Formats: sequence, C-alpha cells, structure tokens
Amino acid sequence: MTAPASKQQQLQATLQSLRTSLPELRGALVATTDGLPIAQTFSDTTDSNRVAAMAATALGLGKRINDTLGTGDLTEMSVSGVDGQVYVYATGRKGVLAVVTPTGMNLGLLHMEARDAARTVALVL
Amino acid sequence: MIPMKLVVSGPVGAGKTTFVQTLSETPVVSTEADASEDIGKATTTVAFDFGTLVLDGTELHLYGTPGQDRFDFMWDVLCEGALGLVLLVAGNRPQDFLHARHILEFITSRNPVPFVVGVTRQDLNDVWTPQDIASYFDLPAEQVIGLQATAPDSARQVLIRLLEAQLTPVPRLDPNSQLDPNSQLDKETA
Repeated sequence: MTAPASKQQQLQATLQSLRTSLPELRGALVATTDGLPIAQTFSDTTDSNRVAAMAATALGLGKRINDTLGTGDLTEMSVSGVDGQVYVYATGRKGVLAVVTPTGMNLGLLHMEARDAARTVALVL
Repeated sequence: MIPMKLVVSGPVGAGKTTFVQTLSETPVVSTEADASEDIGKATTTVAFDFGTLVLDGTELHLYGTPGQDRFDFMWDVLCEGALGLVLLVAGNRPQDFLHARHILEFITSRNPVPFVVGVTRQDLNDVWTPQDIASYFDLPAEQVIGLQATAPDSARQVLIRLLEAQLTPVPRLDPNSQLDPNSQLDKETA
C-alpha cells in the first residue's frame, strides 16, 4: 500500500496535468465521497472545503437520481451558470472529481481529459 | 392537500437517517456515502434523506440533513419552506451537545421554524434524559422529548409533539381573509 503523502502527490499531479491540458479551467478538485478535500488546484480564492462538500452532495444526489430513473451508474453530473460550469465525475467508490470551467469551454475535450483524470484518480484511491 | 415539510437535523450519529427510515411509509430516498473519518459508523448522509408519512390525516414530508458542518449549505437548502424542525441529539454523546446547539441556532436564526429537540438512545442505560437536555439547552421541558429512533411509536411521539407545538402559537387563519395566501388554494380545491 502506498503512503498517504505519495497518494496525494499522485492526485495533485493528475490535477496539474488536467490543468496543463486545459489551461482555461478555473480549477479542479478531488474529494472523498463524504465530502473531505484531498487534492485541489484553484487559481482563485475558491473555498475548497466547501466545493468538496458540495461535490459529494451532488454526487450522492446524482446517484440517487440515476437509481430512481433506472439510468445506471453515475458517470458525471453538471451544474451550469451563465458564467461557468461545474462538472462532477464519479471516481471509483471512494472519490469524486470536480472541474470548474468558464463558459465556452470545448466540452468534448473537457470530458475526454476529465474522464481520463477520473480513471486515474479512481486507481490512486 | 399540501403536504407539510419537516426537517430532521442534528449532529453526526444522532439518528437522523434512522428516524426518517423508521417513520417513512414510502421507500426512503437516502444519500449515504462511505465515511472516511472515524465517526463511529460506516456511512454518512451527504445530501439528504427523504421519507413521507401520514399522521392524523396530514401528509408529512421528512427531510433528514447531513450532520457535518461542511454540509451546512444543505441545512439552508432543506429548511427552505419547512414548517417544523426536529433536532435530534444522541443522549449518550454529551460531546455533541454543543454542536447540536450550534446547528439549532444556525437553522432557527435563518428560518425561525417551530422545533422540538429529540434525545435519542433512550433505550440505553447511561444516557442523558430529556429533562437534562432541556436545562442544558435552556428550553421548556415540553419542547424536549426522549425517544428511540428505531421504535416507530417513540419516533411518532416526537412528530406529534412538534405538530402540537406548531399549532399552539399560530392563530387559526380566517379562511375568508385576503391576506391568507392559502385561502385562494382552498377555494380552488373546494
């Protein structure tokens, strides 16, 4: 089993490479499914504790919506505003990845990169 | 008839999810996630628990909140439009009492709803009584009630107490009053 610090470095590296691929991202964060932040890269003063809790809430609710509607396991859910979007990806049983984007992002590229990152995060956790 | 929205809140491990599950007559919508901290149980609520029941002909919708402070935005979200609050606290966890007060103050300062405090785990021996908690919270004795969240009759008593508390201070609205926003609905459904 890997030591916790090195897990964190791996997660941080995954988030960094996501940001390098998509420099316009406002930030990305990995949290536990019960809402504790593990790794984050935000370029502004975003409260990562709060985003971690909200990502876990969104994921939990999204899972229940999928259960209720019979739409299978949750892959991601999104929240959109006029000035940006948040995409919340399921990462295995233990984690959640939240990606905050500005409006007008290349969504095809975002999903490709973020789902890759989500797979990596799931493996690390 | 419009269902009555009630919120069940309190610290982690107070028995909120159990309370909603015990009382609900419909399958409970729950959002449990694996706990990554040592909170004395394997899973924790991250969004809400939702259950419904009919009590004395009134349809009640119960929303159980998450317990951790980091989910306090959900307390706000769930309390919107709520007509009553059940604050649960585990009678055998005095270390949580201060947090329970904090939650109660947080919610009632933003949305002054009628509330009762439920002291769970009353089936255990070494447990604080409702009277103890009433003096700790500085509340009238009738606003604090002991219960066992796993026992339907016991849990139902808490809701009955809340509905009584809720009916007492509010004067009956005149059905012909123009100021009553529900009067229009009553006429439409009549």
